[in-house]
Amino acid sequence: MSSTTAAKQSTAMELPGYDQLGASIEPAPPGEVRLRVGVPAFASAAKVMQQAGARFVTMFLAHTPERSLCAVFALHGELILVRAPAAPETIFEPIGSWWPAASWAERELSELHDIHFRGEDYPSQLTAPDADLLGRQVSGLDVFSIPYGPVRSGIFEAIQFHIETGGEDVPRLHTRPFFKHRGMEARFGGLTPDVAVHVAERVAGIASCAYASCFSQAVERALGIQAPQRAERWRAVYCELERMACHLDVIAKEAETTALYVGQARFQILKEQVMRLRSRLAGNRFGRGMIVPGGVRGEGMMSLDDVLAALDEFERDLHRDRRMFLGTASMTDRLIGSGRLPRRLVEEYGAVGPLARGSGLSTDARHERPYGNYTRLGLQVVSERDGDAMARVNVRFGELSESLRILRQTVDHLRRRDGDLKAELPSTGGAACGWVEAPQGELLMWVELHEGVLARTHIASPSLRNWALFDHAFPKDVLTDFAFIEHSFGLTPAGADR
Amino acid sequence: MLEWIQRGLSQGRITTRYPRKPEPAPEGYHGRIEVLDAHDPPPGLAAVCPTGAIVVAGRSWLTVDRGACILCGECVRRAPERFAFRGEYETASRSRAALVVDEQQHPHTEATRKALGEQARMLRRSIHVRHIDCGSDGSEEWEIQALWNPYYDIQRLGFFLTNAPRHADILLVTGGVTGPMRAPLERTWNVMPAPKALVAVGTDACSGGLAKDGGLIAGGVDEVLGVDVYVPGSPPAPIAIMHGLLLATGVLAETGVAA
Repeated sequence: MSSTTAAKQSTAMELPGYDQLGASIEPAPPGEVRLRVGVPAFASAAKVMQQAGARFVTMFLAHTPERSLCAVFALHGELILVRAPAAPETIFEPIGSWWPAASWAERELSELHDIHFRGEDYPSQLTAPDADLLGRQVSGLDVFSIPYGPVRSGIFEAIQFHIETGGEDVPRLHTRPFFKHRGMEARFGGLTPDVAVHVAERVAGIASCAYASCFSQAVERALGIQAPQRAERWRAVYCELERMACHLDVIAKEAETTALYVGQARFQILKEQVMRLRSRLAGNRFGRGMIVPGGVRGEGMMSLDDVLAALDEFERDLHRDRRMFLGTASMTDRLIGSGRLPRRLVEEYGAVGPLARGSGLSTDARHERPYGNYTRLGLQVVSERDGDAMARVNVRFGELSESLRILRQTVDHLRRRDGDLKAELPSTGGAACGWVEAPQGELLMWVELHEGVLARTHIASPSLRNWALFDHAFPKDVLTDFAFIEHSFGLTPAGADR
Repeated sequence: MLEWIQRGLSQGRITTRYPRKPEPAPEGYHGRIEVLDAHDPPPGLAAVCPTGAIVVAGRSWLTVDRGACILCGECVRRAPERFAFRGEYETASRSRAALVVDEQQHPHTEATRKALGEQARMLRRSIHVRHIDCGSDGSEEWEIQALWNPYYDIQRLGFFLTNAPRHADILLVTGGVTGPMRAPLERTWNVMPAPKALVAVGTDACSGGLAKDGGLIAGGVDEVLGVDVYVPGSPPAPIAIMHGLLLATGVLAETGVAA
């Protein structure tokens, strides 16, 4: 690896209990701290991280520099990667039993990657769900169970919710992802980065630009290069437009669920305006094909003055529709108090994105570990206290305004200064993490390259991490609140299942 | 509420008049790949395509399988003298083989487009559509949903969304069919009453797309069930899907008469 910092002082080294881990620090690109521990100390290292208030991000099987189990934690603006060598047949101490955030990651590793944990005894296959297999857990008079999905009502992606209810209260809800598992992580292998980015764009189609940026940044960090400033600005333009489209989609769906049909139509119109703007910029409605490792493929296809004019017009409409939406009591009454998630629970599960920010956290990858264009912008993190569906919608409204501000500033910079669009990629090797704040929350990717070709990729999608919380989103809610709460999460099964 | 009504009315008409009037794609839109020069391609040109959509027939004639093309543009960047993007929405087809043609013969003249609209009218403006996701990347769902937004408003053509497969005439399938979705797909299709039509929406549903080589998907809906209309694209634009739905009404009309 070319851009490595030698054993840099990290906050991790000052944590209580760190000395007992016997950890050695390995070279890593800036922003990452890599610790190597022995197999027995792996779970203890996670405990040290938890006690220090770190957020569990993901856990995966790495092959660089050797086959190892690697866990990623976010702490004080740094990513801490703890790895332990994983020779075949190694049994690890479980983490998920005391840290819920790690639970699904452990099951996935056990089922798909042959990494095993002591005493593992999972009730069902997480990664190969059977739609007909329902483990009922609640019994009582008139309690029935609804398997909702994987064939949904309406035009939604496949996922199953197993709801046990007496008709009103929801004593138990169980989310079952992985109906759409397509093996996308493995699909990267053997491709060069400029072709592999097409795979990244198609992991979660509604967040194509976020996935492409994240993948590109991971590759750039692994190869020790940096994209030109102008390319980073273009990436921010595509990513913020994408965030706006996703947030507007959530708001339109909330309006639809309340049968506020004009409101629904208004927000659909706003979303369509964003889609058409992207179509004029990139030649397709999802902004695909522009972001590539090393930079961007070219300038946008539309004049920057026209972009600014389109944004101005959009903002006028948005302000008016937002005011009306928030002033319609029949709308807000359904959101206020629905699906309340306390801050403690959100932290335990390591949730991210508008969901976490709706429960009072300020987790935002653009702010925590600024990257690309965001290192040069003051980002205002939108956070709400209440933790209910209303708070999550309010966070999205706030972020729409913030995205518009970022867009205007960035487009103005693009307009005033010219520059390179792409840096050459060396045909060398390396391994690194890349991260972005996708519309659904923090997205992290781990890539390993050998001689300029992708060897392994791991994707820690915000959707999967947040969905684990859905089981707990019905503390005082009734069955008819289901759709409101689901939409307020705003997640995509394609990203979660990969 | 009054304010909402006013707000709704103040917009004026924004709905497309397609298929009565053509709806051209915006300038520079990546609708499909056009082969500019099919003669004697250099060796190795087919390897440029990550999904293997470039087919060299008889070693000297170049074609693009639009059903496998994800519109990534690798071929346009590597060989701009041979390939180009074409801004066209009407890319759906009633046969998989017709998607592998060297050059489409402009089948969508004004007359055929209007005939499609007439066809939908003949079915008394009452066609019920049901959707099932079998492993898409999520973008196809957005574009199908968009058909019911004020810009496209497919209800004006008599297409309604239904949640019950037993009420559905047309099944829209997205994704290349993952293992766990195979049985739900078959069950959904089997309970739909005849006449019925199946529309594969998106390149993933047409051929498996980029996800095909992983071995976890069937690789196109037609590996599992018979497909009546293919709508290629990654993802296809709302007008492209609307075009596919109009083609599907032709299937309904024909099989309905036969039944």
